[in-house]
Amino acid sequence: MHSPRYLSLLMLAPALCLLALLTVYPLGRSLLLSFFATEYGFEGATFVGTENYTYLFDDFFFRTAIWNTVAFTLMATVSEVALGLMLALMVTRSFPGRWAVIPALVAPYVLSTMVVTAIWSAWFHYDFGFLNNALRAAALPPVEWLFDPDLAMISLVLVDLWQTAPLTFLILLAGMQAIPLEVYEAARIDGASPKQILITITLPLLLPHIMLAALLRSIDSFKIFDKVYALTGGGPGQATETLSMFVYRLGFRFFDFGLASAAAVIMVIVAGLLAALYARRIIRSESNVA
Amino acid sequence: MNRLTTAVMAGAMVMSSAFAGVAQAEKLVIAGRDGGYGDALEFAVEAYLAKNPGLEVERLELTGGGLLEKVTIAMREKSGAYDVIMLDDPWAVEFMSKGWLADLDKLGGGVGEDFVKPARDVSRYPVGSGPFYAVPFVGNVELFAYRKDLFDKYNLGRPESWTDVLAAAKTISENEGGVSGAVFRGKKANPIVTGFLPILWAHGARVVGADGEARLDSAAALEALNLYLELKNYAPKGIETYNSTEVRDALMQGTTAMTIELWPSWAPSLDDPAKSKVPGKIEIMAAPGQVQGPAPMLGSWLLAVPADAKNPERARAFIDFLTSPEMQKTLALEVGIPPTRSSVYKDPEVIAKYRWYPAQVEALQNAQPRPRITQWSKVEAILGDYLQLALIGEMPAEKALSEANKKIARALSR
Repeated sequence: MHSPRYLSLLMLAPALCLLALLTVYPLGRSLLLSFFATEYGFEGATFVGTENYTYLFDDFFFRTAIWNTVAFTLMATVSEVALGLMLALMVTRSFPGRWAVIPALVAPYVLSTMVVTAIWSAWFHYDFGFLNNALRAAALPPVEWLFDPDLAMISLVLVDLWQTAPLTFLILLAGMQAIPLEVYEAARIDGASPKQILITITLPLLLPHIMLAALLRSIDSFKIFDKVYALTGGGPGQATETLSMFVYRLGFRFFDFGLASAAAVIMVIVAGLLAALYARRIIRSESNVA
Repeated sequence: MNRLTTAVMAGAMVMSSAFAGVAQAEKLVIAGRDGGYGDALEFAVEAYLAKNPGLEVERLELTGGGLLEKVTIAMREKSGAYDVIMLDDPWAVEFMSKGWLADLDKLGGGVGEDFVKPARDVSRYPVGSGPFYAVPFVGNVELFAYRKDLFDKYNLGRPESWTDVLAAAKTISENEGGVSGAVFRGKKANPIVTGFLPILWAHGARVVGADGEARLDSAAALEALNLYLELKNYAPKGIETYNSTEVRDALMQGTTAMTIELWPSWAPSLDDPAKSKVPGKIEIMAAPGQVQGPAPMLGSWLLAVPADAKNPERARAFIDFLTSPEMQKTLALEVGIPPTRSSVYKDPEVIAKYRWYPAQVEALQNAQPRPRITQWSKVEAILGDYLQLALIGEMPAEKALSEANKKIARALSR
């Protein structure tokens, strides 16, 4: 008879093998490559120690990419969770036509990102786009959505918000529906106003779901690539160059794999720290509930 | 052996011979560009298949950046994924010097002297003297275009220098409603760089010197960049995002007086009233000079056979078909692809359709290639980033050039 410990390991083995192959090996290889000057792999690579890291922290473009990524992550996460929460609060009660409203709200999330960017690219067009046509119709000046360096990032957030707010909406709606109705009834019997119910009952009980939605969206936003690639290419200038775009350009345009690996390692560390912060908060709130 | 067994065995034999037939079907995999080049390749592939019905052709249609990425990775991985690849001439240096391409002389056929010399030269390594590793397919050369009617209206002479261009752009944009003074590609990377290079060269400045060192931190380069930035004042809004489509549209819709960069393959329909609002009004010439005479930039697209191609003989035969005088003429007439053979430029039928071809072939014969260095793609990307920062006003011109120069020096040293 095998001991339960060996049996557990045996059961975990397939997952551990996959994790080692798909996560640990690429991470380890990237970490090693980050200490080399290389165009592709280890063939012909020269050991340069921490030179790639020193170069990156001294590089204006890299610092800009970090700042852009953090700014995008914050703006996208906060706006998506806030909008998702508002929509969930609106839809949680039953009303006529609710069956049609929920699928309509979720619709953008089922579209592929390439379709979404194609739609928004047309809407953002300075001369013929729907948004500027609407502004002109309202006697307002047109806006340089994608080629104003101060506005391009906000435009990207807008696209991300449109596509991904349905996800946070669904998470928070599920969270609200899990709150026992008796709690609300007791509060009402005690004379609590709707505002008091929201602040003292709904939001605290929904907090683990809000944290989960924020965690999922911040991790996803942190690695934003597709929308940037398709809509702005990182421009104008460096205004929308995110870390993923930066790593991609170093790796697959410049074929500077040493530098790209160093940038990727830094990106993984930042994303890991971010995830750890949330995870700690979620675990703590779960233990409090328990 | 009973009947059932016989039938099963017979069926298996038929199936196996059918599958063997499938396995043996000859295949050619082509990695090429999209847009007009893609149309040309599609046209030629159809014509080739009509003559070779047993052949199976898989053709990838990619953007410039996508093509470079895919073929570079395939060469580095030695994957043997492609039989024919299309290369922009500045990329070819790296591909040739690293042994990624098959020697076409050894595959047979060579590259005849009918091909325009500058395009023929960049198809060899070492440049101009070594064996041929590619065949020139698209005879692109960077030209300059202006609206003759508007220049006449405002008594402006043919622009001989970039200072003339600036003055004309100012006059026309200030006086002609709905028409910008000039248009160019302001998009990051290759587009903005190729638009800027003729101005830089005309000012006597260089990105990389003859000694292989970065040379952008010069007074001449700064003067060129300042002129380029001043041109933006007379360009349409959003020029930072303009690429070939926007430039072509502005030219053919009559909303601009000049384009500082016109590649012949962009606008084969300049005189077609169905497609252009200003047919017959656009004059095409080599880019103006400044302290140096005009230096048209070569932008030839080449066809090559990777060293690890699975079907090199067929690939070579297809390239010969594609670059034959007959196909070059057909592609020029049907798709508007600028030929690379001198003889096609002399063809009366071709000249009748494209009145600017004599000027174009003259520019092509005197065209200058971009620096023949293996790191050009990287250098171009760096320069493109800083040029755009200067264009959108996020970085002063002098700083942009000095920062670009530092990064280019690093790229050249690695």
